[in-house]
Amino acid sequence: MSSSVRIFAREESGTVQVKVIIPHPNESGTRKDEQGNLVPAHFIKEGAISLNSNPLFEIQLGPSVSKDPFFQFRFAGKKGDMLHVSFLDNKDVHYVAETVVQ
Amino acid sequence: MKRRQFLVSGAIFSAFLSMRPARLLAGWNSTIFQQSSLDAAFLNALGTKNLVRSNEITIVAPPVASDSAAVPVEIHSSLTCDQLFLFVEKNLTPLVFKCDLHGSMQSFFSLNIKMREGSALYAVVRENGKYFMTSVQVEVMAQAC
Repeated sequence: MSSSVRIFAREESGTVQVKVIIPHPNESGTRKDEQGNLVPAHFIKEGAISLNSNPLFEIQLGPSVSKDPFFQFRFAGKKGDMLHVSFLDNKDVHYVAETVVQ
Repeated sequence: MKRRQFLVSGAIFSAFLSMRPARLLAGWNSTIFQQSSLDAAFLNALGTKNLVRSNEITIVAPPVASDSAAVPVEIHSSLTCDQLFLFVEKNLTPLVFKCDLHGSMQSFFSLNIKMREGSALYAVVRENGKYFMTSVQVEVMAQAC
């Protein structure tokens, strides 16, 4: 469990724009280090995002997402809504964060 | 006796296995991310490779990316889609993400991706069970991955 996830949600004329940054190496498993050894895969593979405990979207991710994944999405909402994000990497570590829409 | 022990331990083990997916969020579908060709990735993720090209989907990405380790890609669409996909044709595994949208979600998603080399990007959305796609070409200056 880690709460290093940064999340920002701002409402403007009925649309909430959300930015999520997960500090994570997000290694694809195909990159080689200076010695020529493969760096083992370590990446975010799943996420579930909910709004006021109703599901908003689920995402499955492959290894080709950049280091420190940065996602942006939009939904119809209002100030005060409770947004909850939960991500899981391939080592079964959870990354969760919550925020109130501003 | 041996046989009984074997059966019991097998039952415990399979019970443990069947509990595992519940711990995951949605159950990561590894096969759709393991395909090495674009056609195979389409077939596995969508069940078809005949997609209708639509100009109601837009991919916003730089035509030439300076850093292939972080190429900003934005997908938006005026279709009311319930699924969203992004594929990079020449990556080792083309599928980047699969997204299931509910309720009040808008057809918009943006993220940074890694690209092995210059390649076509394909965004696929599903509306009423039908798949629509669009593509753009992105070149990279320095190689990552």
